[in-house]
Amino acid sequence: MHNRALPYLLTLPSLILAAVVIFWPVVDLIQIATHDVSRFGQLRDFNGVANFSALVADPDFIKALLRTGVWTAAVVGGALLVSIPVAVILNTDFYGRSVARVIVMLPWAVSLTMTAIVWRWALNGESGMLNSALRGLGLADQNIQWLASAATAFPMQIMIGILVTVPFTTTIFLGGLSSIPDDLYEAAALEGAGPVQQFKRITFPLLKPFVNIAIVLNTIYVFNSFPIIWVMTQGGPANSTDILVTHLYKLAFRVGKLGEASAVSLVMLAILLVFTAIYIRLAMRGERA
Amino acid sequence: MISPKLKRTFIAWALLAPLVVVTLFPFAVMFLTAVKPAQEVLTPSWWPSEFRWRNFYDMWVAAGFGQALVNSLRVSLIATIGAILVSIPAAYAMSRFRFAGHGAFRHFLLVSQMISPIVLVLGLFRLLASFGLVESLNAVGGVYMAFNIAFTVWMLQSYFDTIPRDLEEASWMEGGSRWLTLRKVFLPLCVPAIAVTAIFTFINAWNEFVVALTMLRSQESYTLPIQVFSLVAGRYTVEWHYVMAATLVATVPVAILFVWLQRYLVRGLALGAVK
Repeated sequence: MHNRALPYLLTLPSLILAAVVIFWPVVDLIQIATHDVSRFGQLRDFNGVANFSALVADPDFIKALLRTGVWTAAVVGGALLVSIPVAVILNTDFYGRSVARVIVMLPWAVSLTMTAIVWRWALNGESGMLNSALRGLGLADQNIQWLASAATAFPMQIMIGILVTVPFTTTIFLGGLSSIPDDLYEAAALEGAGPVQQFKRITFPLLKPFVNIAIVLNTIYVFNSFPIIWVMTQGGPANSTDILVTHLYKLAFRVGKLGEASAVSLVMLAILLVFTAIYIRLAMRGERA
Repeated sequence: MISPKLKRTFIAWALLAPLVVVTLFPFAVMFLTAVKPAQEVLTPSWWPSEFRWRNFYDMWVAAGFGQALVNSLRVSLIATIGAILVSIPAAYAMSRFRFAGHGAFRHFLLVSQMISPIVLVLGLFRLLASFGLVESLNAVGGVYMAFNIAFTVWMLQSYFDTIPRDLEEASWMEGGSRWLTLRKVFLPLCVPAIAVTAIFTFINAWNEFVVALTMLRSQESYTLPIQVFSLVAGRYTVEWHYVMAATLVATVPVAILFVWLQRYLVRGLALGAVK
């Protein structure tokens, strides 16, 4: 004698709330993106895909799009390359392992905004402590103006992106490693397999589903990540470190091109949905297995 | 004779060293700048001539820290309490009932977790503006709450699923109603899970940047991240020792909480993904 309506009543409030903050803005963005719109958001005539064609014709958008690709691939790839060995090391038994784990996890515990503010100061050209450290160690003989040009600012932002992505990625891999039974390694060692072979034949294949999940989730997070670039350079100098999210923010709240900003949002949303679909397929495969 | 474990220790720390240095570097910068006397901040020396603890006290006033702290607490508490209250029933239904739309709701949660506020920020701004709620801390708390629901339902459901049904069934056998069983048997078992989920929601809201940056336009309503950012952005002279003292105070308590509870987060997410 279960009340059949009960589960629906229980889930309804959460569904409504989550839907309102997602669907209302999405519908609104679709409307703005397909209309001629004033700086203050008044809709004028329907103009079809004019806002989208304006985007495609805008070299700043194309550059930001390509840069987003570089940013996402570099941060996700870099985090992966760092995290696999770090997870393997943290999974072995050594003195001070719990301290090492805490240190590796630290960047995850601090908000991206605060991390970016500290780095902005550390990279300060005149009195930043990175320059004084490099000079003190004899690695540089004059101050480097890190944030004054994209050639140094963007790689630094990627490095910070990697640094803050490593904890989450390592955590996923530690979960994966702990699911690999020890007897596999013992058996392999008995058969005479060295550490490198063990990694290639046992660790990596069994870690692969976790690598896939990490790649997809990190791609989504990094693609969306706003604070590091906004706080350090605001996409500058001269839009040379803009990625899609900062370009979008400028279009919407600096330049007041609401139509184009909405079009960027929808393009991003479409890309995100593709990634999410991939993620759901991966996750569901795991659920069935 | 070196024991194998000692040898492993050397190798492990040697390999981790570069990452450890890069990770700790910003913390060192933050701390050392925060305690430097004002006139030494711009000189390129690492170690301060004396530890000026007074900076923290002065920063509180100079950086408008108190007001921003209160604002941050307010939005984070609204987000946390609201999200938990709405999510407990939903997670309970997801965990204990099989109903049409169960799978669809789970998919919806997954998808909405992937959409970050930045993509929708213009639409969100217009949504709040149409109700005259720009500048409203309560509205920002409400937006955080709504964006956290996917996460809280997901986390809570994965914990609820681990609680055996036998206890509830025993209580029903003895004539306890569903509501009574829920209150006296089920929820008390879930208190730790609810607490952990609540803390992570709190931290999410505490750290949020782009929604606050967009909606909160005057200094009285700034939350901590925006307040500290405003001390840095678009200024000719930045009082970095105050800024670093403020980041330190805003960051450290939350960071400790996070590091302490991090394994529960991982367990909850993993339970949800693997089960």
